Amino acid sequence: MVVGEVASRADLLVVGAGPGGYAAALNAARLGREVTLVERAELGGTCLNVGCIPSKALIEVADTAALPNRVAGWGVTSSVEVDMAAVRSYLSRVVEDLTGGIAQLLNRAGVRVVPGTARFSRPDRLAIEHDGDLQHLEFRHAIVATGSRPIELTDLPVDGERVVGSDDLLFRDDVPEELVLVGGGYVGVELGCAYAKLGSRVTIVEAESRVLPGFDDRIGRAVTKGLRTLGVGLCCDHTALAVDDAGLRVQGPDGEMVLPAQVVGVVVGRRPNSDTVGIAEAGATVDQRGLVSVDPGRRATQGVFAIGDLTDGPALAHKATAEAEVAADVACGYSNAFDPTCVPMIVFGDPQVVVVGVDEETATNQGMDPRSFRFPLAASGRARTLGGDDGFVNVIADGDGTVVGIQAVGAHVAELAGEAALAVETAATVEDLAGTIHAHPTLGESILEAALGLAGRPLHVGR
Amino acid sequence: MTYTFHLPDIGEGLEEAEIIVWLVAPGDTVERDQPLVEVLTDKATSELPSPVAGTVLRLGAVEGDRLRVGDVLIELDDGSADGADISTEANQSSVTVAGATDVPSSVEKTGPSEPAPETTTVVGSTTARVKAAPATRKLARQLNVDLARVSGSGPGGRITHDDVRAAAVPVSAPSRPGEELSATEDSPSPIGEPATTDATLGQMTPGRHPLRGIRGVVARNMAQSWSEIPHIHTLDEVDATLLMDLRARVRSMDRPGAQAVTPLTLAAAATARALRRYPMVNGCIEGNPADTIVVHSSVNLGIAAATSRGLVVPVIRDADQLDLFALAAAISKVVDQARGGKLTAADLAGGTFTITNYGALGGRWALPIIPPGQAGILGLGIIADRPLAIDGRVEARPTLPLVLGVDHRLVDGDLAEAFKRSLMDDLAEPLNLLVGS
Repeated sequence: MVVGEVASRADLLVVGAGPGGYAAALNAARLGREVTLVERAELGGTCLNVGCIPSKALIEVADTAALPNRVAGWGVTSSVEVDMAAVRSYLSRVVEDLTGGIAQLLNRAGVRVVPGTARFSRPDRLAIEHDGDLQHLEFRHAIVATGSRPIELTDLPVDGERVVGSDDLLFRDDVPEELVLVGGGYVGVELGCAYAKLGSRVTIVEAESRVLPGFDDRIGRAVTKGLRTLGVGLCCDHTALAVDDAGLRVQGPDGEMVLPAQVVGVVVGRRPNSDTVGIAEAGATVDQRGLVSVDPGRRATQGVFAIGDLTDGPALAHKATAEAEVAADVACGYSNAFDPTCVPMIVFGDPQVVVVGVDEETATNQGMDPRSFRFPLAASGRARTLGGDDGFVNVIADGDGTVVGIQAVGAHVAELAGEAALAVETAATVEDLAGTIHAHPTLGESILEAALGLAGRPLHVGR
Repeated sequence: MTYTFHLPDIGEGLEEAEIIVWLVAPGDTVERDQPLVEVLTDKATSELPSPVAGTVLRLGAVEGDRLRVGDVLIELDDGSADGADISTEANQSSVTVAGATDVPSSVEKTGPSEPAPETTTVVGSTTARVKAAPATRKLARQLNVDLARVSGSGPGGRITHDDVRAAAVPVSAPSRPGEELSATEDSPSPIGEPATTDATLGQMTPGRHPLRGIRGVVARNMAQSWSEIPHIHTLDEVDATLLMDLRARVRSMDRPGAQAVTPLTLAAAATARALRRYPMVNGCIEGNPADTIVVHSSVNLGIAAATSRGLVVPVIRDADQLDLFALAAAISKVVDQARGGKLTAADLAGGTFTITNYGALGGRWALPIIPPGQAGILGLGIIADRPLAIDGRVEARPTLPLVLGVDHRLVDGDLAEAFKRSLMDDLAEPLNLLVGS
C-alpha cells in the first residue's frame, strides 16, 4: 500500500462509534449527509463494550447472587452458585445483542462503517490505518468522538493478570479472593459492591478522605455506610505505591502498609483520547487535561467538531449522545447548542445514587438562596416493600421555588433519574412536582413527598 | 482585607447600570482583570473586570438590579493584610467589550494529584443556569434571543415561549443605517441582515411585562426628552439628482471604502459641516430646572440603529474631521458592532447630534425625538422619484425628504431654517462636501 497523499473524499466523517459517535452518525444521516464512521474496535465504544452495559449486567448478576442474604428475613430460603465463566458469556451476549443492534441501525441509515484507527494528518484530512494499510479521507466535516481511556498509574502498570483495569474486571472467569481497587470514584464503588456480593474480600484505596469525593458529603457518607455493610474495606487518605508478593503497598498519613491482594484493579479515572486522534493537528485547542475547546455548537475548528469525553464535563455516555445531536445539527447547518442545565449522574452501588443539578452548597455559591427537603426512604411504602429503607430523596429549590437539584440515595433509586432530570431541565417548580400525582406505591412518590415538604405541607414525614 | 468594588463611571455620563449576568459567584477565586459581571449601561453591554485578584465575598446586587455609579458592586477578599489604602474606583479605561454573550461556566476543577480520581465525574450543572425548558431554549436559538437577558414570567421566574417571543420583538426602529437610502436605480440588496423578521415584529403576548433592558433605557430616555425638550420640526425636500449621481460615481471608483459610501454618508458629512457652521445646534440645555447652555467643541454624530437587541445610537466622534471614505467606514463599523452587540458604553456616549434614517424602512416623513443631552436630530426619508418643478416644468426627480428637529429652548426658527438650508445646499450640490468649508 502506498502511503501517499491521495485522499478519497468523505462528506461527513465521524471518528469513534461509541454513544457519541454512532449517535452523531445516525443524526447526520437522518439530515441527509453522506456519513462515514471510522471505528478502531467494536461498535458501541467503551459504554457498550467495556463500560456501562457489561458493568450493569455484572451488577445485576451480583445483586442476584446476594439475594439469599437479602431475602433471609422474608421467609424465603435459597442458595445460589455463581459460574463466572457462564456469567462472562452472558455478559458477552448482552453486549453483542446491543452492538448488533447498533450495526443494524447504522446500516439502515446508510452510514458507511470503516474499520481502522484515524488520525488527523491535515486540518481537513484523516489518515486511517487498518491492518497495516493506510488510507486518507478528506472530509467536509468531521465529528470526533474518540472517547477516553483509563488513566494508568506509572508505579502500577496494568498487566492484565495481577494488576488489571476495569475492562478485565468485567469479564473474568473467576472471583478473586482478595480484590483491591485503587480509586474510590463511581467505578471503584460499583465494582467494589459487585465483587463483594460475588464473594471477594474487597478493599478500596482512595486518595481523598472518603469515597465518591466529587459528590455531596451526605451521599458520600451513605455510600460509605453501604460499602461497610457489604464488608468492603475502605482505605481512604491512602495512595497506592506498588504491588509485590505480599500485596499492594499503600502510603497513608501514618506511613506505609500492605493490603493483601490477589488482584489489584486500577480505576482512577479516564483521560480523553484527543492525543491519539491528533485533533490538535486539525487546529483544535487541547488543554493540559486533554480536553478539546469547543463552542456551544461543539465546533472545535471550522470543520471539526468534538463531543463526548473529549469535551469538558462529566465523561458519561448520555452527555456524549446529547452532544452528538448538537454537533450533527450544527454540521448540517442547523442552529443548536449544548447548553443543558444538568447532566444527570448515577452510581450503581449499594445503595444507588442519583445526582441531578446542584446541591445546596453549590446553589448557595451560585447565589441562589436554596431551600431543600430531605425525604427519608424509611417513610416510603414502596421502599419498605422492596425490603430497603435506607436512603433519602432530597429536592433542592432556589429562592423562587424552581427545582435546581434532586439527589437520591437508596436501593433502586437510579430509576428516579429521569423524573429528576426532567424537573431540573425544564425548570419545574416545587409546586409543579407537588401538584403532580405520582403513582402509588412507587419510589417516585419520594420526589413528590420531598416537594410537598419543600412546599410546607409534608405528608408522610414531619417537618 | 475586604476590597469593595463600587460601580465605576465606565463611560461618559453614565449614571447607572443594570446587572445583566454575574460571571462569578461568592467563593470563586478571581484573577485581576477577570470579567466579574456583565452590565447594561446606556444601551451597551460591558464586562467589568476585577480590579484585584482575590476571592468573591458578596455580590452587591442580583441580576436585573440597577446600580448607580458608586454603589457597591461586589466585595472581594484580596488576601492582603488590613491597612492598605486602596482606591476603590476602577480605572475608567478598563471597560472591555462585551462580545459573545456566552457565560463561561465556572466549573471548578480541583487539581487532584497524580491519580486524578474521576475528575471528569464531578457533578453539577454545566452552564450558567437559565430557567427555561429545552424547547424554550431551542426557540430562543431560532429567534436569536439571549436568554440571559430575558426575565421569565412563568412560575418561579421560568422563561416561557411567550417571553422568548416578546424578547425577540425589537423596539421601534427608526432606521438601519448603512443601507441604501433609496430604492431607486441599482437598489442592491440591503447591507447586512435585517434587524428583525416580519414574524417577530410587533409580537408580544397579552399581559404585563417588566420594562427592562434596552427597552427600559429607550423608555426612560424618550420620556425625558419628551417632557423636557420643546421640539420644533421643519420639513423639506432636496433634489437628490446630483447626490445620487455623486454616490454612483464614488461607488464606481476603484478605491477601498468606496462601496461603503451611501446617501447617509453624504448626509452625515453635510450635517457635520452645518454643525461647524452653527455651533449652537451642536450644543444642549442642561440642568433641571434648565440653567446652562453647553456648546460642544467636538462634532459627535449619533447614528440611530435598529438591532435585534433594540434601538441603539452609536456615536461617530469628530465626524467633521473625517473625509467621506473615513466617515463611511466609521458608520459601517459602528453599525456592524451594533448588530453584533459589540458596542461598549463609550461607543454610545458623547453624541452631540443624531441622524435617524427611517427612509431605510420605507418611511418618508417622521417627527423624530431629540435624544437627551442634544439639541437636534435629523430625519432622512426614502429617496424616490417625485414630481419637481424645474424651470416651469414638472419633472420626475429623485428627492430626499428631510426633517430637522431642534430644542426650541436653544434653537429658534431662524437658526433651524438656516441650519436646514446649509444641509440642503450641500446635499443638492454635494461637491460642496468635497471642497471643504
